Amino acid sequence: MTAYVIRRIWQMIPTIFGVILLIFLLFNWVGGDPAQVLAGKISNPDQIANIRRQLGVDQPYWYQLWVFVKQVFTFDFGRSWSTNEEVSHILLTRVGPTLTIMVPVLVIETSLAVLLAIGVAYVRGTLKDRSIMIVCTVAMSISFLVYIIVFQWLFGFILGWFPVQGWSESFWKNLGTYAPLPIMLAVFVGLAPELRLYRSFFLDEINQDYVRTARAKGVPEKRVMMKHVLRNAMIPILTNVAIYLPGVFVGSFLLEVFFSIPGLGREVVTAVNRSDFPVIKAVTVYLAVITMVINLLVDVMYKFVDPRVSFK
Amino acid sequence: MDIRRLFACLCLFLAALAAAGAEPPKKVLRVSLRAAETGFDPQRIDDRYSNGVDENMFEGLLTYDYLARPAKLVPLVAESIPEPEEGGRRYTFRIKPGIYYAPDPAFKGRKRELVAQDFEYAIKRFRDPKNRSPYAWLFENKLVGLDRLEERAKKTGTFDYDAKIPGIEVRDRYTVSFLLKDPDFNFLYVLAMPNVVPVAREVVEMYGEDTMGHPVGTGPYMLAEWVRRSKIVLERNPNFRGFELDTRYADMSDEWDRAAVDALAGKRLPLIDRIEVSIMEDEQPRFLAFMNKEHDVLDETPFGFLDQVLPNGKLAPKLAKQGMKVFREEQPEFTYTAFNVEDKAEGRPNPIGGYTPDRVALRRAMTLAYDIDAEIGILRKGQAIAAQSPVPPGVVGYDPGFHSAANQHDPARAKALLDMFGYVDRNGDGWREQPDGSPLVIGYKFYAMGQEYRQLAELWVKSMADVGIHVDASAVQFADLLKDKKVANYETAQSAWIADYPDAQNFLQLFYGPNTGQSNEPGFKLAQYDRLYEKSVAIPDSPQRDRLYREMDRLILAYAPVRLGVHRVFNHLIYPWVKGYKKHPILYTNWKYLDIDVAERQAAMK
Repeated sequence: MTAYVIRRIWQMIPTIFGVILLIFLLFNWVGGDPAQVLAGKISNPDQIANIRRQLGVDQPYWYQLWVFVKQVFTFDFGRSWSTNEEVSHILLTRVGPTLTIMVPVLVIETSLAVLLAIGVAYVRGTLKDRSIMIVCTVAMSISFLVYIIVFQWLFGFILGWFPVQGWSESFWKNLGTYAPLPIMLAVFVGLAPELRLYRSFFLDEINQDYVRTARAKGVPEKRVMMKHVLRNAMIPILTNVAIYLPGVFVGSFLLEVFFSIPGLGREVVTAVNRSDFPVIKAVTVYLAVITMVINLLVDVMYKFVDPRVSFK
Repeated sequence: MDIRRLFACLCLFLAALAAAGAEPPKKVLRVSLRAAETGFDPQRIDDRYSNGVDENMFEGLLTYDYLARPAKLVPLVAESIPEPEEGGRRYTFRIKPGIYYAPDPAFKGRKRELVAQDFEYAIKRFRDPKNRSPYAWLFENKLVGLDRLEERAKKTGTFDYDAKIPGIEVRDRYTVSFLLKDPDFNFLYVLAMPNVVPVAREVVEMYGEDTMGHPVGTGPYMLAEWVRRSKIVLERNPNFRGFELDTRYADMSDEWDRAAVDALAGKRLPLIDRIEVSIMEDEQPRFLAFMNKEHDVLDETPFGFLDQVLPNGKLAPKLAKQGMKVFREEQPEFTYTAFNVEDKAEGRPNPIGGYTPDRVALRRAMTLAYDIDAEIGILRKGQAIAAQSPVPPGVVGYDPGFHSAANQHDPARAKALLDMFGYVDRNGDGWREQPDGSPLVIGYKFYAMGQEYRQLAELWVKSMADVGIHVDASAVQFADLLKDKKVANYETAQSAWIADYPDAQNFLQLFYGPNTGQSNEPGFKLAQYDRLYEKSVAIPDSPQRDRLYREMDRLILAYAPVRLGVHRVFNHLIYPWVKGYKKHPILYTNWKYLDIDVAERQAAMK
């Protein structure tokens, strides 16, 4: 396994270079000139040139690319062009609020989806199953934005169960007061598609020969479902969770904007609007690295979930 | 006396003692900003939200009277407003002694007094290339010797803050004199801008690159907490001297002035202990948080909720019953569609550029074709006034009697004008061609983010199509739009200008020829206009200057370098427990003038 992990880590290096090149090309192609934004209402070409010089965007492309590569490998992305805040500080301070929302969302959503999916799969074909599937289809057809607007209005304003928005310095206050509504919303929205997906995973397993054999041998139904079916369905579920996992570290822009959560999602969109390349670079590279690490971890975890998997 | 009675008396006595010793509840003002701040270093910021917060932490030489309309300059840390010397080239200020900065570790436990050198240092910071100040233009080609200092800094890489220049003369601890290259009777407005404020050199040097997060001024508040782009908390500056509301300019026939005088006159301001500012970029949460009484004031009520708040232009009865009030503010700004009048646009011959009669006629016809009434009535829900000139209401030089038919929506006249100058449909495809028969397709650029800009673009395209002009609209990124307008890389484009100071000159400079490539987006170069502008700058506010302004307005309408849009109207909602509210046209915040009736708020929250 060690050889496998080392090989995978080696493979990350060219991927990182690919990501660097892609971000660099995209920014220089469609990113706009940050000096124009930073120069203020009235500026002359001399001032624009001064800003470009200070930002380093007047340098040849190869040099700018080299600086970018150095930044990635030294983990020093400098300062935000718009706020002058250190990029590392931005990442460190914004990731906390994002995770405060997204980790509970992932845990609750996945647990609920797995439990409900196994239940629905167990009663497949019945009125209950069909009703739940119809509800899921309808729920999936509605935009996330509509959910946010309605939930915020209903639970925050009309019923007053939660504050409409806000964030504090205290983790526990955030988790207990400000986070529940956005978490509930994200879980509600994410549940329907996951439930449908996981149900199909369970149905695939339920129709396998080994399940029929177990039942023929008189294994209790509960044991069949919870031990055999659940364990075998965990591989595609794990893959699906792994796909969503990097998003946990970036957060939901809509949730963060609507609930005034100072997270990374909001930061990224603001950075794009302000052509704040250091922040865009850092977040994109950070996301790429997290995606690769999570993929590696999930691949390793397959082995523990399913002993038939071998590393080659 | 039995034991129970004795016990009851003791309890009452203790309760009375506790009540007498208890501190009065803290007055907390809760407000929201609709866009994120960038930071608080006054010389390095340019967004109005950061500037608005800075207004409460820093103080300049001058400011505006809270109640006077139109806006009136008054001294702030200066003892008085100086008379111009040397024909408008010199201004000398005496600073009030005994003004102290908010406490900061940079002062090593000592109280730091404001001195004249702090102004010298702050103004030089605008021109230090390292600061990339977005407001460097305020002092560009203005103070004698300052441009040279910047040039030297560009060569050596270091700005010499200790170098003396004739443009800023520190005469003693409390006296500073500014010498301008040319007479400028609007220079005092520059000194009243919220970012032209003193900073202590030791603070800037201590925090280096982190000055955005360490604002230290002499204003009534100081930064207590800052969760970037989410929450800003200001608390009283313990070193602040306090002030009283100046009621000399109050208009007692105005209900807002009357209420402010009733609530604040004779009291030592500020009255608010703590200001909590939430950054809320989306309309719904900002509106709901206010309706939920999580905030006390809602500045700039989102357009999406105007039908609920102001049905038929009046405050909804449900809200009026709660005692809520609405302050209608005509913003000192104007929106416009810029016509590129240069000969070339995007490297090609520009079909609307130039000053020949046919090109001027085309631009004037487009002006007449645009359905400004639909913009105001439908897109802006009646919350705007059609601009008659670039000069908005509330600024010096505005003439409410100035109207022109050249700026109305009149498609019939537009068509007649186009026909007269040979812009007719020759090939029967439904679109007009140029007088020489070549196709006429006019580009229109608009800002890609936001529904408002897209809707305006659609209205522009439709209005032009109604008179047979083919417009090709394209959405572009903000940075690209700024650049395109500066380098004449467009034919027509959306734009707007918000007052930096309340004088018509701030708007009319947008058409001054030498400002091409900077603020003169159309690239309008008319010798006659430039002469009038130069003349107007050299004389103080007077009927003579107003006449020059009107002549310039007429030239703008005649040559049509822009299609004038609107002056937007914003509605600010205020709960009844907020006392002393009045929105200022130039200053973005009024927090230091407000009071909160805590008991009234608590009762309403139940």
